[in-house]
Amino acid sequence: MVKNVMVEEDEEALRSMGWREIWLKEDWWAIWLGLGIVVVAYLFFANGSSIKWIAITPGKWSTLDQLLGDFRSHISQYVAQFIMWLVVLSLSMRIMGHKIGELIPSFVFIYLISIAIFMIGAWEQAHQYNLEPPLVALLLGMLISNLIGLPRWMDTGFRVEYYIKVGIVLLGATLPFTLVIWAGPVAIFQASIVSIATFLVIFLIGRRFHLDRRLCATLGAGGAVCGVSGAIAIAGAVGAKKEHAPIAITMVIGWAIVMIFFLPLVSRALQLPTGVAGAWIGTSEFADAAGFAAAQAYGNLAGHVPGIEGTADQAVWAFTLMKVVGRDIWIGIWAFVLAIVATTRWETETGSKPQAAEIWWRFPKFVIGFALASILVTLVTSGYSFEDFNKIVKPEFVGPVKALRTWAFIFCFFSIGLTTRFRELASATGKPFWAFTVGVGFNVALGFILSALVFGTYWASLAH
Amino acid sequence: MDKPSCLSCRHFRNSPRYLERVYKGLSSLSSAYASVRKDDGICLERDLYLSASACCERYAARKPTS
Repeated sequence: MVKNVMVEEDEEALRSMGWREIWLKEDWWAIWLGLGIVVVAYLFFANGSSIKWIAITPGKWSTLDQLLGDFRSHISQYVAQFIMWLVVLSLSMRIMGHKIGELIPSFVFIYLISIAIFMIGAWEQAHQYNLEPPLVALLLGMLISNLIGLPRWMDTGFRVEYYIKVGIVLLGATLPFTLVIWAGPVAIFQASIVSIATFLVIFLIGRRFHLDRRLCATLGAGGAVCGVSGAIAIAGAVGAKKEHAPIAITMVIGWAIVMIFFLPLVSRALQLPTGVAGAWIGTSEFADAAGFAAAQAYGNLAGHVPGIEGTADQAVWAFTLMKVVGRDIWIGIWAFVLAIVATTRWETETGSKPQAAEIWWRFPKFVIGFALASILVTLVTSGYSFEDFNKIVKPEFVGPVKALRTWAFIFCFFSIGLTTRFRELASATGKPFWAFTVGVGFNVALGFILSALVFGTYWASLAH
Repeated sequence: MDKPSCLSCRHFRNSPRYLERVYKGLSSLSSAYASVRKDDGICLERDLYLSASACCERYAARKPTS
């Protein structure tokens, strides 16, 4: 069957990727695009101006007249912002090999629906009805893709990973680097405990069920390290069977979607502070995109739902520290170590000798952009007092960057829904299902104990 | 000339578009255009997903394209 699939574009892949990834991989483009926005925003700010005109978002509203009036008065700003996104996305995606003729109509669709999702979230009563934009975007996308269906070519514009990576680089601009230094080691410590323990649980249960070691490792990385990206990286490193990765993809997507709703729901029931919930989601969600949806949805409740302490930023910051700094950046090391184990202990015939360079080539490079954005903004704003930061820097510089970040996240959350077609996913039942599911349960429980009990005070007071 | 490896083998497929088409759901929460994938791909001969630097006795050089 695979042989029947068109392969003409494989000719382009004859050369090793190497440093060509600088213009051929989404990680690097997220850096160029995200850092580019931050630098431009700073240049405007340094010259007494601001990019806030183009970083427009719908204002709060309580009546339909208010909503329409606000939209009409800012329509030129929405058009300008749409053009900005379209130009930078078209340029970067064309270079990566996508078809612009497919991207443009697809992105028009995403942008128009994203405005509507943003508007729903800006309704004064939205929190009362749980209409959090991340969850609305996800559900709406899933309804469209599973009940109505869209042409396959439109997937060109539904780049979940690209949008989330751009958003994470922009997030770096709003996260003080001092906080990364202060909380990073704790995040790494906590995430390492959970990652290693969860991997071992899934791997050992899988082995107990007599599953292939390579499948166990692929499932374990999907559940413990960084979701589908972790699974696919480890599958390649250990030379997994072709059908192993799709099983892990199905398991991760299924449980990630469940956790997007489950973790915020339980956090709300327990009235966890936003920092604690963010850390828990960062420990127990499987993918960056899914985790940001959950963390942002829960963070938005702060100040709107009685009993939930903290700020929206704390949920997103704690999640980022735990997931991106604590888990994602170690994928290269996982791949390297498991490649050694596979070739030396499992007698797997991959025909290649593991090399330490693997650690760099598999490193999620967008994290570099995230760190650079954080360092840059921390440095240029360090001379401002707390009062001046809130009065001048926030509305004119950091605020607009944050608004564009929120747009990137909404594009991402909507795209998750639009690309999650349940009927197309590989079957993953029986032993792989149970091995992974026990790991999920273990991960969620251990993640809660560490986030809420062991390090609870620490995460609750993040950035105070 | 590079030493023989999956990358230059006619049984090996690793373009991102191909992988996202074959591995349904890959682009839902990840991407074939991500750094973590390196240039891994599918061996159609042995039905494996492996590194482009791998090689085996069934290696068959691709015909050069004009």
